[in-house]
Amino acid sequence: MSGRSRRFLTAGWLGLVPLAALTFLVTLPIIWMATTSFQAGEKMFQLTTEWIPSVWHPENYPNALARAAFPIYFLNSAVISVGVTLGNLVFCTLAGYALAKLRFPGDRVVLILILSTLMLPLEVTLVPTFLIVHKFHWLNSYQGLVGPLLIDAFGVFLMRQFILKIPTDYIEAARIDGAGEFRILWQVVLPQCRPALAVLTIFAFRDSWDQFLWPLAIVSRDEWRTYPLGLVRFGEDYGNPPTEQMAIAVLATIPVFVVFLVLQRALRRGFGLSGLKG
Amino acid sequence: MAARAGLSVPYRWRLRLWALAFVLPTVAFFLVFKYGPMLWAFQLAFTSYDMLSAPRIVGIENFASLSRDPIFRQALGNTCVYIAGSTTLLVVVALALAMALNTRVRGARLCMSAMFLTNIMPIIAVCLVWRFLLHPHGLVNQLLGPFGFGRIDWLTSEQLAMPAIIGVTVWRFAPYFMVVFLAALLNIPAEYYEAAAMDGAGGVTRFLRITLPLLAPVMFFVVLVSALLCARIFLMPFLITGGGPGGATRVLSMLIYETGFSYMKMGRAAAISVVLFAIMLAFTLVQMRLFAASEED
Repeated sequence: MSGRSRRFLTAGWLGLVPLAALTFLVTLPIIWMATTSFQAGEKMFQLTTEWIPSVWHPENYPNALARAAFPIYFLNSAVISVGVTLGNLVFCTLAGYALAKLRFPGDRVVLILILSTLMLPLEVTLVPTFLIVHKFHWLNSYQGLVGPLLIDAFGVFLMRQFILKIPTDYIEAARIDGAGEFRILWQVVLPQCRPALAVLTIFAFRDSWDQFLWPLAIVSRDEWRTYPLGLVRFGEDYGNPPTEQMAIAVLATIPVFVVFLVLQRALRRGFGLSGLKG
Repeated sequence: MAARAGLSVPYRWRLRLWALAFVLPTVAFFLVFKYGPMLWAFQLAFTSYDMLSAPRIVGIENFASLSRDPIFRQALGNTCVYIAGSTTLLVVVALALAMALNTRVRGARLCMSAMFLTNIMPIIAVCLVWRFLLHPHGLVNQLLGPFGFGRIDWLTSEQLAMPAIIGVTVWRFAPYFMVVFLAALLNIPAEYYEAAAMDGAGGVTRFLRITLPLLAPVMFFVVLVSALLCARIFLMPFLITGGGPGGATRVLSMLIYETGFSYMKMGRAAAISVVLFAIMLAFTLVQMRLFAASEED
């Protein structure tokens, strides 16, 4: 690992200037979102953007939250994201371990069967999945909102590829010492999987926190709305200032950024090592 | 393998049972929520169904009427343009960003993390922010103004709406592929570049002769993942332009939603799903080929 990128001169802080400028430009929309959320409503469509509000309006936040049942929407989204993330962590690890280290008849077929579902996202199977959930009487419920998102093939693939790299000798040794499969998974395999688990967590959390189409299809009652549905309706009602919409957008962004910050160290290794090899 | 021979036969059977127990929930889930719905979609595609009365078999009528429908044709074309445009730009921009970050400069990692934020902020926030930024008085036009551009109507012009959506897509996803490229760039041994530099190869030659060929497998992976991602795009056109103006940004996933849930034509929506599935199947088959090849080494 060391010395691999020493081909470039160590330029110190000076080399950072163009890079920092580029980063600033890329992240400008995020900065815009944050400052706009404190802006006065009538300043939105001025001919030049006022980057630092002349008068700060932190009351945009409580005002926005009070205009619709946003606390409930956020709670619904949180329950769904936590459920989906946990489901992915548990089931993708189990299946990934079995497919990487336990030979069983038909394992190739199972692997291909699971990977093939990558071409069946909800956008494609929307109508029949809706009809199935309708038959289960799961419309307007947590089961319905979480159910079809509970396991993602990407996660199974990620865990399998990562566990493949763990030396089988460790596992065999633990088995000869009399450890059961659950103990092997918990004490031998999982501690070495942290980077992969971090990647899985951030993507599962982001994708379920982001989910729009599925709640849009199955939710018809206000108390089951998630925050993206609330946010879109909020914008459709006249008289709701866009600055307050940005306040909700900022609030929605914070949880994902926090998860990202907490996992950052493990994530960096996860992206490097898993290499997402084609 | 040697250690495995030491295990007794009943123990090996116990391991197989464990494996089945570990895999079974996932397989059952995919049968119920992926393969079941897809088979049902194939069946529904040959029926007319409004959820009020029982499905009525209509043969290939759904497909026949779709092939004559200008709205469907437009959406199919839009989807293809969107996939091709976004994927091409994503590869170029992500690779450029990765190469800019591939230095020993202090703070490069921090820049990478900051740019990655565009990839993890909620997509709904991305759409709402860009809808304002692309407004005629918005930030994009303000920044372009000094370069002699007038007030451009990004979202209400039939020619510019799709490029604008593609631009937002690139902003959203390029940092993800940037990280993938960066991991691959770091794996290229520095000696290759040193040897080339000693032979007097310039920067461009080194890029064309060393970087690009060694990056080819990763690039192929990025193209496929990006194509699958773009084929299913829904929220960006749905929220930023609503599919307009004049259907210029309506993609297949939006047409499925409108047909099924606004017009309650479940059979026709299923037929469109089958078309979208065929597109994704084509990309997936290529991907499977690659995966099978990489498993063999």
